[in-house]
Amino acid sequence: MMNVALPLAAFVILALLLVVRMPVGVAMLVVGIGGYVSLSGVDPVLAYMKTAAFWNYNSYSFSVIPMFLLMGQFASRSGLSAKLFDAANTFLGHRRGGVAMAAVCGCGAFGAICGSSLATAGTMARVSLPELKRYNYSNALATGALAAGGTLGILIPPSVALIVYAVAVEANIVKMFMAAFIPGLLALIGYLLTIWLYVRIVPDAGPVGPITGRDQRIKALLNTWPTLLLFMVVIGGIYVGLFDPTEAAAVGLFGAGILAWWQGGMRLAGFVDSIKATAVTTAMIFIIVLGADFMNIFLAISGFPEFIADLVTGSSLDPYVILALIILFYLVLGCMLDSLAMIFLTVPIFWPIMSGLDFGMPVSDVQIWFGIIVLVVVELGLITPPVGLNVLIIKAEALGTTLREVFVGVMPFLLSGIVRVILLVAFPALTLWLPQILA
Amino acid sequence: MATVLNRLASAFAITGGILLCLMALLVIISILGRALFLLPVPGDFEIVGMGTAIAVFLSLPYCQLQRGHVTVDMFMAHASKGTQTFFDVVSSYIFAFIALLFAWQMLFGLADMFRQGDISVIIGIPLWIIFPFGVVSFLLLLVCCIYTAYLDLRSMRQ
Repeated sequence: MMNVALPLAAFVILALLLVVRMPVGVAMLVVGIGGYVSLSGVDPVLAYMKTAAFWNYNSYSFSVIPMFLLMGQFASRSGLSAKLFDAANTFLGHRRGGVAMAAVCGCGAFGAICGSSLATAGTMARVSLPELKRYNYSNALATGALAAGGTLGILIPPSVALIVYAVAVEANIVKMFMAAFIPGLLALIGYLLTIWLYVRIVPDAGPVGPITGRDQRIKALLNTWPTLLLFMVVIGGIYVGLFDPTEAAAVGLFGAGILAWWQGGMRLAGFVDSIKATAVTTAMIFIIVLGADFMNIFLAISGFPEFIADLVTGSSLDPYVILALIILFYLVLGCMLDSLAMIFLTVPIFWPIMSGLDFGMPVSDVQIWFGIIVLVVVELGLITPPVGLNVLIIKAEALGTTLREVFVGVMPFLLSGIVRVILLVAFPALTLWLPQILA
Repeated sequence: MATVLNRLASAFAITGGILLCLMALLVIISILGRALFLLPVPGDFEIVGMGTAIAVFLSLPYCQLQRGHVTVDMFMAHASKGTQTFFDVVSSYIFAFIALLFAWQMLFGLADMFRQGDISVIIGIPLWIIFPFGVVSFLLLLVCCIYTAYLDLRSMRQ
């Protein structure tokens, strides 16, 4: 019989450390190392530390993470976001709520070349907030749409969180990227519908914007070609099997760098700023990688994941009830915890449960399906009160807006996100169809 | 002292970033070689993995100086300045201790790898060459942790 008390105590200690604002990765290291020591003694842990960081960081599949991060930095400096927003605005701006719709579409398009929600939200806010303000959009609608739209950065591939999931469960990253595409589009459509409904109920929130002629539309649309090209090469290249993800990231980094230099006016100072910003995020993620490794070794030795999996499978609860409970757990935890840390911490415990349940499809499909559900639910955490990182980013960009206004504004989008989760759970084909026909 | 530390950590991060760009360039050369001459750069993925590892190590100290690590802020947001500082300082010292453990153990890892002559599978790069970057980066991270703790204490006293 395994000792359940120790892992449970470890989770309590982890929670306490997080409450007193210890960095997430450091807290995971503390608990992971501590738990490992208490089960195996000091010497094996010290011996493991000789090479732990080396083996965790010396990884071809992980090299894609800093590359996609740097690509996103370059893309943010390329001026592409303004062109995407302008193009969408010429088509949608004349409608009620249209400028906000254009901002969401811009986020979606930018998300297709950027793997990070925060970068997408920040970049798009800088170019679209002045316009939203100019046409007298309510603070709530303008900021809510942008905070929600920012999550498209990670929902639409490339996606750093998806890479982390794929590495954690040893899934095929390429298939995960394919699977994420339709749910990502669904998110975009859901957000647009939300704005459409919103301005029907509160017409003053989203006045009509600029009216543009056909020539202007075509011109604006043609201006977006670099984004389209970058997306076709990077994500298209992955989908058709031309590149593996690292190769695609390298090509994308290079392409985005050229665009930033050529169209965005990035010079040496901008380049240095980009790699410094990338260094900060990289280190942040890889400290969590290291902490998760120690946590997982500790938990694996304690037998906790099997224990929980046996407990759940033995409970004869309906698989969908269990999935619903897991989703609920993510929604609650997502209110407080960073999305990557959440995936690293929970997937090694939840995946053994999920793989043992019968959803009427092969385990390899469950792996993809569950990954997308996790991604979507975890991303909702970016816009849920009380923290919601995207909300904080947008608030920082939107001067004169209160945090309360942004959270109120984001609520309808949160609802559309929950509807989307239900759809994805009810219709696995939404996720599994594209990888099946492309494979 | 403070400027030296800032410059050093920045230099580490920038070196890592340039290395990352070089790795991307290597991958592109390899793709071109494969496409044009059916000749990829041999062992390209080994080099990229190792280069990334070095870049990651080099980024650690700068992130700490920039306070770039994610935290859960909501519970401490309403605590007094003194309480906040106390826990932040304790966290920094704990992180410093962990960095010390890694730096210390990676020295032994370096010695092991060097003695056993472990090399990468395809083009035989000695693995030990990564370890000095790890040791030095963790040591600088240790100093940066102590420095951020010092800054926190000083700002509270003022």
